Amino acid sequence: MLELRNVSKHFCKIFAVDDVSFTARPGEVTGYLGPNGSGKSTTLKIITGLIEMTSGQILFDGKSIHDDLIAYKRRMGYVPEEPYLYTHLSGVEYLVMISQLRDLPTRQSSERIDGLLRLLSLYDDRHASISGYSKGMRQKLLISAALLHNPDLILLDEPFSGLDVGSALILRSLIKELAARGKVVLFSSHELDTVERISDRVVILHRAKVVADDSIERLRSMMDLPTLEEIFSQLVVEQDFAATARQIAELVHG
Amino acid sequence: MGKIILLLPLQFRVLYRQFLLRVIDLEALSIEADIPGFIGQFAGVLIFISAISALKALSLADAPPEILRGICWTAEQQHISGIMLVVGLFAVVSWDATFPDKRDALVLSPLPITSHVILLAKLAASSTIIGVAILSLNFAAGFMWPLLVAKAGASDPLRAMAAYWLTMMAASAFLYGTVLTVQGITALLLPRGLFLRLSALLQLAAFGLFLGVYFLQPTIDNQAAMTTASNHHLLVFLPSFWFFALFNQLNGSLPASLGSLATEAWIGLTLAVTGAGASLLFCYLRTMRKTIEEPDLVPGARGLHWTPRLGSALQTAVLFFTIRSLVRSKQHRVIFAFFLAGVLGTALFSVKDAWWAGRRMPLSIDFLASSYLMMVLAVVGLRSVFALPITLHANWVLRTTQLRSTRQYVAATRYTLLLLAALPAWLLTVMLSYSIYPWREGVAHLAVVALWGLVLTELSLLGFYKLPFTCSVLPGKTNIQFLFWGFFVFGVIFAYMFADFEIHTLHDPARFRLLLAVLVAISVCLWSLNWHRARSAVLYFEELPQETITTLGIASLS
Repeated sequence: MLELRNVSKHFCKIFAVDDVSFTARPGEVTGYLGPNGSGKSTTLKIITGLIEMTSGQILFDGKSIHDDLIAYKRRMGYVPEEPYLYTHLSGVEYLVMISQLRDLPTRQSSERIDGLLRLLSLYDDRHASISGYSKGMRQKLLISAALLHNPDLILLDEPFSGLDVGSALILRSLIKELAARGKVVLFSSHELDTVERISDRVVILHRAKVVADDSIERLRSMMDLPTLEEIFSQLVVEQDFAATARQIAELVHG
Repeated sequence: MGKIILLLPLQFRVLYRQFLLRVIDLEALSIEADIPGFIGQFAGVLIFISAISALKALSLADAPPEILRGICWTAEQQHISGIMLVVGLFAVVSWDATFPDKRDALVLSPLPITSHVILLAKLAASSTIIGVAILSLNFAAGFMWPLLVAKAGASDPLRAMAAYWLTMMAASAFLYGTVLTVQGITALLLPRGLFLRLSALLQLAAFGLFLGVYFLQPTIDNQAAMTTASNHHLLVFLPSFWFFALFNQLNGSLPASLGSLATEAWIGLTLAVTGAGASLLFCYLRTMRKTIEEPDLVPGARGLHWTPRLGSALQTAVLFFTIRSLVRSKQHRVIFAFFLAGVLGTALFSVKDAWWAGRRMPLSIDFLASSYLMMVLAVVGLRSVFALPITLHANWVLRTTQLRSTRQYVAATRYTLLLLAALPAWLLTVMLSYSIYPWREGVAHLAVVALWGLVLTELSLLGFYKLPFTCSVLPGKTNIQFLFWGFFVFGVIFAYMFADFEIHTLHDPARFRLLLAVLVAISVCLWSLNWHRARSAVLYFEELPQETITTLGIASLS
């Protein structure tokens, strides 16, 4: 179980994450939502250990992750928001390097690499340079690298970004499947429809603070709204979409 | 001058300015690099070399003509091969800069700019830099030596000066034109993907060729030796001697026996210039479109991705990551190639005499000092390249997979330095030593060089708690003058002092054992210092994001 307790992060005097607390349980998919700049990616980077929090505590299976960060990293898989990779490597070279850095047994890792590349339709281009990969292909590669070591905690930051329809459907099912096998899955996304379909519970962030943390079913009944999109709009959207769109069109048209 | 420039079309002026700033491969320099300052520093080094040469000429002003003749004869050869080396190195550094690349094709093709404006702007930018190189390297020498040549041959000083400068320009045009012709023909004949791969190999081959020819070509100090049959057969293949003959032809001092060499210079110059012009023109007409149409995803060759296990998993990962970065990143490859060029140059310099003598030589101080310098250049070179980031934004990959202690990462970096820098430099010394010098003394020296490599590796790891290519010490901000003269003044002097000491110990077993013991002790001390420090150190990854926006630097004007 992943537990965040009063986690805050400020850069200079600006709070990127402000007193965030929530729990992601094994067997559940936890959706992490919020508008641009609300602090979702910062929270995920704090959970991975890439960014140090200013205050608060993060526990995984009851232990602070900072007590033994290396042991924690062994159990964590992460797909970042931006697919930054070492683009001078080929897809297979990248995965082999990850397996070596993770100290995975050679035979087991090469079987997994081959399998993941085949299942994610990257096998034919495995020897091509990543610099030539499309955004979707890079995303698939990141997903493969995150799952290579069979992690217990899976952190996915906008994992559907750039994926084609077929791959997105596979990933949706995969996320549910992984949760069903007892993994802790926390993923952030802007695709509310997808979140609604696969998440057991959602945490909604607005201006760096948690404004909702519950199962979608309970949020629907509590707020008396039929869809997650409407719940999200009510909680975090402060703009009149139609009016803004009209203003843009008028500005461009002259 | 300003008014003439303003008469040129605006498109040409804008593109010329852009290309001038990136004529040295942008990938090889950081976006933050001060490129004009960088070029200025190189020009400063060349001007200094020119000044030293001019001072030498000045000191010979009172020498009798018969002695001057021989000295001028060799000086002319050295100046011509010197400018050819400088232009050759420029051609390597600015590799591909004159040809259309994908960035040009994508950015400029949608604009109403014709291909010939782009081509002319690129050619003008490259010519400007070559012009700066010719002027800098002959800044003072180009006036003093022609005067000396005129005095030695009782010829017209103005004619000697004109001949000198024309020869320098012709030799530079020949070399740069030849490189462009070879690149152009390869680009036209080969499929784009294959050309890009081969181009990198050609770049390194050209590097080795220019240095090899410069360091191995003989210097012939009299006319009689130059016209002997055996030498003449060799000179026919050495372009610097063609242009030496051309200089003498223009100066009116060409011996009849060297007339064929001057003819070769004219033929070579004509072929190089027309070949470059034609191939560039065809490339702009044909490959601009091909460049846009080329697929992004180029299938790789399976055989090139073989990753055998060498050492622990971490050592293998760091080693192969380093090899692939060095081979595939133009920035890292070119900068490391500069250091390797130094290694190769030093090696060739150390065996030049034995090469031409064609027999085994007694172990010399030159060879001993050269082998230390080779080791320094190899280890320091690779360690310097480690400090150039490859993709700072991708550092998260290494950070999220950091499952071992800092000490193990330092050990993996050490392993990579030893395998990719110290070992090859040592093997090169073994090869040279085995082929030229007495084996017993050679073996003893090899032990010293091996320990020297260990010491240098440990020294270069002091305070380096990083993985290769994960931090941002950026090229283009280095003080070239400081490095160049620092290496020559301190590095070379120290190497010769140590070589002088070693050559004495080679004949005294007790002192030699002491020397080995001291080197072993130093390397063990440095190793344990690094080991202890790494225990409490935190592996450092650069946090600063790479610059993605280049400012115009005009804030101060407002």
